[in-house]
Amino acid sequence: MDDKKRKEQLNIDEKRSDKTRGNGLLIASVVLTIITMILVLVFYQSYMKSFREDNNVNKYDQYYVMISSDRKSEFMQNVYKGAFEAGLKNGIYVDLLGDDLPGEYTKYDLMRIAIDSGVDGIIIDADESAQMTQLLAEAARENIPVVTLLDDNTQGVRCSYVGIGGYDIGREYGVQVADIIKTLRREYFMTAEDAKEEDIATIDVAVLVNSFEPSTGQNIIISGIRETIEQTEQTGSKANVMLVPVDNSNAFSVEESIRDLFINGDVPRIIVCLDELSTVCVYQAVIDYNVVGEVNILGYYDSDTIINAINRGAVYCTVSVDTAQLGEYCVSALEEYNDFGATSQYFTADVTLINRSNVSSYIRKEEQNE
Amino acid sequence: MNRFWNLPLRTKVTSIYILANFLILIVNLFLIVGINNMSREIEMVYQDNRQLNEMSEALNSVQDNMTAYLNSKTSDSLEEYYRSDQIFDSMVQELNGDITDRTFDRMERNIKSMAASYLDTVRQTIEAKRGRNVEKYRVRYELATQQYNYISSYLTALNQVQFKNNSENYNEMASKFRTFEQIGMLVVFVVVAGNVLIIISLVKRIMKPLGDLATTAEYVAEGNFDARMVEVDSKDEVGVVTDAFNKMIISIKDYIEKLRQSMEAERELKEKELTMEAHLKDAQLKYLQAQINPHFLFNTLNAGAQLAMMEGADRTYEYVQTVADFFRYNVKKQDMPVTIADEVNLVDNYIRILNVRFSGDIHYEKNVDEKLLNTMMPSMILQPIVENCVNHGIREMGDKGVIWLKVFRQDNEVCISIKDNGKGMSAETIENIMNGTLSVDRKKGDSNGIGMDNVIARTRIFTGDDESVKIISEGEDRGTEIIIFLPIDE
Repeated sequence: MDDKKRKEQLNIDEKRSDKTRGNGLLIASVVLTIITMILVLVFYQSYMKSFREDNNVNKYDQYYVMISSDRKSEFMQNVYKGAFEAGLKNGIYVDLLGDDLPGEYTKYDLMRIAIDSGVDGIIIDADESAQMTQLLAEAARENIPVVTLLDDNTQGVRCSYVGIGGYDIGREYGVQVADIIKTLRREYFMTAEDAKEEDIATIDVAVLVNSFEPSTGQNIIISGIRETIEQTEQTGSKANVMLVPVDNSNAFSVEESIRDLFINGDVPRIIVCLDELSTVCVYQAVIDYNVVGEVNILGYYDSDTIINAINRGAVYCTVSVDTAQLGEYCVSALEEYNDFGATSQYFTADVTLINRSNVSSYIRKEEQNE
Repeated sequence: MNRFWNLPLRTKVTSIYILANFLILIVNLFLIVGINNMSREIEMVYQDNRQLNEMSEALNSVQDNMTAYLNSKTSDSLEEYYRSDQIFDSMVQELNGDITDRTFDRMERNIKSMAASYLDTVRQTIEAKRGRNVEKYRVRYELATQQYNYISSYLTALNQVQFKNNSENYNEMASKFRTFEQIGMLVVFVVVAGNVLIIISLVKRIMKPLGDLATTAEYVAEGNFDARMVEVDSKDEVGVVTDAFNKMIISIKDYIEKLRQSMEAERELKEKELTMEAHLKDAQLKYLQAQINPHFLFNTLNAGAQLAMMEGADRTYEYVQTVADFFRYNVKKQDMPVTIADEVNLVDNYIRILNVRFSGDIHYEKNVDEKLLNTMMPSMILQPIVENCVNHGIREMGDKGVIWLKVFRQDNEVCISIKDNGKGMSAETIENIMNGTLSVDRKKGDSNGIGMDNVIARTRIFTGDDESVKIISEGEDRGTEIIIFLPIDE
């Protein structure tokens, strides 16, 4: 008992040294509590701030819209992408009008919306209709510059046209048609027992044209084809170029029109397609009606489906258009017009022909680009 | 900090309580404000959608009122139209006209422009109607209706986009709210834990001096006055009590020290006295020894005795022999217990010597229980008593003096009674003798130097009993009896 007391007595001294430690603990506790509260407060403030402010919002000086009746096709999407990227570099936001709207609007509706919205520039896949001419005039009244893309409205007031060298494409198609005819002739002479020049049938070349909108672009291509074939006929090829109207008045009519061509039985040996959708439709019809090899498809645009089809031999050739360049030209034309009040009237994008001989190198190049 | 520790105990405890509550109050307020803010934000999430709905209604109202006016041309409908036009216009003005990455911002911008254009068309329509320009208002009305449809569908689309965006925001917010809730709980726990630590630390600090004081007090209560002082560093009640306690300990220590010193001094004084007495005794003894060389005396007396025997003087021989025995006993047996027989024998010798000296004047009667003769007792007890009887009791009585010696057993004690029929003593004298306060001149007369006080003291020490010597006298001339009680050693 006595020892215990003595120990406790000694402990009193030891406890004395605890005093400073006790003070430290007290101050540490108070400081820790306050620091925790401040930290949480700061954290909370920044948390709420980051929530209120969306940091990834960029503002743009100008707003252009692109209008196309065919805006969902890969071709148009790529053109838009080119335009969009070209716009971003210069503080311009390019919108593909109609994408965010419920319901489908015609390009005339969209054109009106664009005019009412007071945009800084319009890129439109125009046509030669009077309504379009009127809308172009209205846009001009509102001082909105308009660039026509691929299809022009020659009567309308527009600051520039951006398209493809239609006549060049026509010539390319013509050369390809002539090549096919030559091949068929050779085959005929090599296989027929009694081959005579007179017996060689004239080969039908069907060019699919839009029936709904009269298009200058397509007309130029067709005349290119015709002229080239006429020139080559002197060397013996026989071709009958005929225009097959395709109903593009509504969403699914193109496909139906093309099917009609096959159902009627007399399928032409060569079909020239002047847009991406009809190329794909013809390709699918050729497979479905089991006429691969009999029908030669001259396609348009280099979508993956079409390229693969060339690789397999189902499509004879196609033309690849530099879509990004198209978009870029549209934006730079509008920009130039806005800045200087005038711009070049006519822009053409580069075109490349793809057939079996160069398709593999093309694929390789695309893969590298990706 | 030091100022705090010097505050009164009550103030300190109250302060701690208030501090702890204050911290918890702050945390709670902070959480409540945070939760309020967040719930307000959440409430605002769908605010855009509500605004768009209101805008749609306002747009409808403009279109309806315009149509109504075109139909009926009433001033009521015109008034209604103006009102709705104003409402819609003010709503349109609030729209954001920025071109940004966000779809809904661009849509808002388009709606703003389109609405302005629409209102313009509507105003023109109304003007044309008022001017009764039928062709113009019909065309304008169609245009306005077309624009109305575009705006309506744009509003619907924007509403959808906003709703999608807001739903994402809502989800994000709800999850943030939950996170905040968890963090809030964590903070509450941390602060409560901190509070507990603070309270424990402060209370420990406040109560520690009290605990120290209690420990020290207990230690002191057990008689350990060498306890360390309890350190006082606060000036509160505990500090005051502790200070007082420390002073008390110092006072008690001082008091004890003083007491110890005075006792020490007393003890030293007594020791001195005793040493003095011893020295005196020693001196007396040495004096006596110097006077007689006992061996020489015994040899001389023996020679005398032999001479007396050779001359045929038998009584002389016996006398001298008795004297020799008497002195031999005196020299030999002073510091050892002896038997009663030895002592009785010495008394016999002594009486014999005296009777030779005083011609047989002393009558000596002896009544001894022989069985008790071997009982031990201190030496030189009986002879000094008999000497006192002779010298102070019966010396002047001539041949009438009688001395009785009795040895007998009473209960468990041996009683030795020596009685005379002499002068007797007063009660006062007896008292003085028993207390040892009667001063006696020892050098006077012919005693052997041993006084009654010595006899009584030694007997008492030997028996360990203060009542072992008794003196009885019935007064003047009625004799004195001295009884010694010895324990029987069986």
